[in-house]
Amino acid sequence: MPSRDDDTSETDEFDDVTEAEIRAAFDEQSYVADDEIVTTVLLALRLGRPLLIEGEPGAGKTELAKVLAGGFDAELVRLQCYEGLAAENALYEWNYTKQLLAVQAGEGGVAEGATSDTDDESVFSEPFLLERPLLQALRGEGRRVLLVDEVDRADEAFEALLLEVLSDFQVSVPELGTIAASTPPVVVVTSNRTRPLSDALKRRCLYLHVTPPSFEKEREILARKVPELHDAVAAELCGIVRRLREEPLRKPPGAAETIDWARAVATLRENGSEGTLSHAEVRRTLGAVLKEVEDVERVDDDLLDSLVEAARAAREAAES
Amino acid sequence: MTDEAPAHGPDVTDDPGDIDGEAVARATEHVRDELVRFARALRRAGASVPANAATTAARSLVVVGFSDEDRARAATRATLVTDPRDADEFERMFPEFWRRLTAGLGETGPAARWDDPPEGALAPLGGDPADGEDPEATDESESASESDDDTESTVAWRSSSLATHLDDRDDEPLAVSRYSPTGSRAPVEALPGFAEHDELGDAVEELTVALATLRGRAWDTAGDRHTDARRALRASVGTGGTVVSLPTRDRKRREVRATWLVDVSRSVLDTLDRGFLLDILGRSRTAWRDCRVFFFDEDLREVTSAFDDGTASGAAEALADAEAAWGGGTRIGGSLAELRTRTPDAVDNRTVVFVVSDGLEMGEVAALERELAWLSARAAAVVWCNPLAAAPGFEPTARGMAAALPFVAGPFAFAGPADVAELARQLRAQGTGGRVGYEYDPRREDA
Repeated sequence: MPSRDDDTSETDEFDDVTEAEIRAAFDEQSYVADDEIVTTVLLALRLGRPLLIEGEPGAGKTELAKVLAGGFDAELVRLQCYEGLAAENALYEWNYTKQLLAVQAGEGGVAEGATSDTDDESVFSEPFLLERPLLQALRGEGRRVLLVDEVDRADEAFEALLLEVLSDFQVSVPELGTIAASTPPVVVVTSNRTRPLSDALKRRCLYLHVTPPSFEKEREILARKVPELHDAVAAELCGIVRRLREEPLRKPPGAAETIDWARAVATLRENGSEGTLSHAEVRRTLGAVLKEVEDVERVDDDLLDSLVEAARAAREAAES
Repeated sequence: MTDEAPAHGPDVTDDPGDIDGEAVARATEHVRDELVRFARALRRAGASVPANAATTAARSLVVVGFSDEDRARAATRATLVTDPRDADEFERMFPEFWRRLTAGLGETGPAARWDDPPEGALAPLGGDPADGEDPEATDESESASESDDDTESTVAWRSSSLATHLDDRDDEPLAVSRYSPTGSRAPVEALPGFAEHDELGDAVEELTVALATLRGRAWDTAGDRHTDARRALRASVGTGGTVVSLPTRDRKRREVRATWLVDVSRSVLDTLDRGFLLDILGRSRTAWRDCRVFFFDEDLREVTSAFDDGTASGAAEALADAEAAWGGGTRIGGSLAELRTRTPDAVDNRTVVFVVSDGLEMGEVAALERELAWLSARAAAVVWCNPLAAAPGFEPTARGMAAALPFVAGPFAFAGPADVAELARQLRAQGTGGRVGYEYDPRREDA
């Protein structure tokens, strides 16, 4: 298998995919993507290169991988990164309990069939192997999307492991030999930019930086994701979120928070009411969009007035 | 290939038709040139652009086509930008890149290659691009440019034809230069004996002094004199423990131990005067206490003994043998791995390692990084001498060269005695851990 560093080989499963198909997949999954995202995803699929997506939390990075998997009937294999993530959690490990039982059974002669499995080699064979996400993605059949989520949370040592996998789409298990992907999975790597990633990783990836959606795009997202909410109310919510993003918050709301908030408001309203958002309604549901106590406390009466004012302006703009 | 997007670009033919092979080659070369130019301009502006980015960008443009500026912008941004802080710079420069790219692909044919200085955002590109740092240049492209006398001819082409041209390179990744655009195609004959280059003799002497007085880590910040605590303690015994003076000691001059690792691939030898190369290797072998010489290309071979008889005939023979034996691409990382496994005694913490190479790595960059990490940790210093760095507009963008930068001192220009003198001057002034290399060569500013 050729090295991916110089990249050459294409992901067979996607080498004929078109922009129209990608747009259709996104539409089907109610994912609102601008042209840049569509083009970059097209390149990732056609060139067979991993896609590194960076951006603020809640900007839709993880969702993009899910949508890709859903839209193309691909299996989604997710590896959530965290500090201390090691190879045995990401790649494979041996089922020690099963190995121990097999060895004991062989020694005691309890299970006749197990006897042949009790020598040193046999307990390090397929039946005792526990596949973790990276290995699952390599060995799977058909279309697969490997989501390496929040890679910046993992240590740099894990990045090195990831590089090895992404370079050749193969791993070496000493007891079994080299395991290579018959068809490489589509790889989506996300990062919240809490630390810089290595140049080596960036070199292997196409890069996409996603920013919080514009007002219009956010309205479109709500229209698709929360259709039960009246459009005018959705516009008010988007106006408030846009205003909130101007504040120096600890965690500015992303698209995910806007959707959560819209669902909360829609749930509390009856029969898809189109009435304007009140101060009390905004205050009562603010916890759905602001996830830090300092941010919630920051919304005093003055700021609340300002938010409601922004909501009115957004409604007027939407209705005009 | 280009889907359904409407054409927004200026006069770019995307329709199938009779394609002149030469025109397609010219267009291919034009795209490659402009991408390299764009990537270099971004780097100059401080953007973090991966070494292989121009290659990936070329492939991306083939996928999205050349008819829609927005799609081309997204494709090039996905490959050239790896930090959102660089996005503004990219957006500032992209219109100029697109203008030049499409102008070259339109009715007027590709823009003149190097005698047409870019304007606007791409203006500060730094002199003649034929400086050897074009990572996309290939034999084919070079020959095409040499035969291209008619820049007025109309270019009719289609992206699929270009795709074929670019995709044909899958076996030879575009990021890797196969041939230096700086050097002459005419082979340079080795001198019959070590030349009596007075200038080189002086330069080697200066280099010897510089290496002999190279500062170790302890001397880096303390200057050339250190307080001798041991002597002060001994002296204090006679004064009842009171230190009445602080004796100092000077930095000792050391004998020079060095290992030369010389890339003898065609791209290096065609840009480097072989007589100069053999001369400096021979003089080093003679003047320094311990000096070993290795040639490498696809493989590593020790040729130290060839320099022992004080004439160039043995060395020239060894060089000729190496050229005859190796015809493929340079594997710097693989060669360093051989050094590590086969002759690890050639490098220790008192040895300065000189790598003479243009950094056009054909093997895996990751392997090169791994081996250089080992080498830099084991040696007193690793000094990279790049014949291409003598060109005024040189930038270390070749894959191997870019990967090597964190591990080596330099790169330094290495094309003649004056470069050796400059190397010696910088090492004496700054050591190997300071601000040294081609960027600090005052001759570069004068050029």
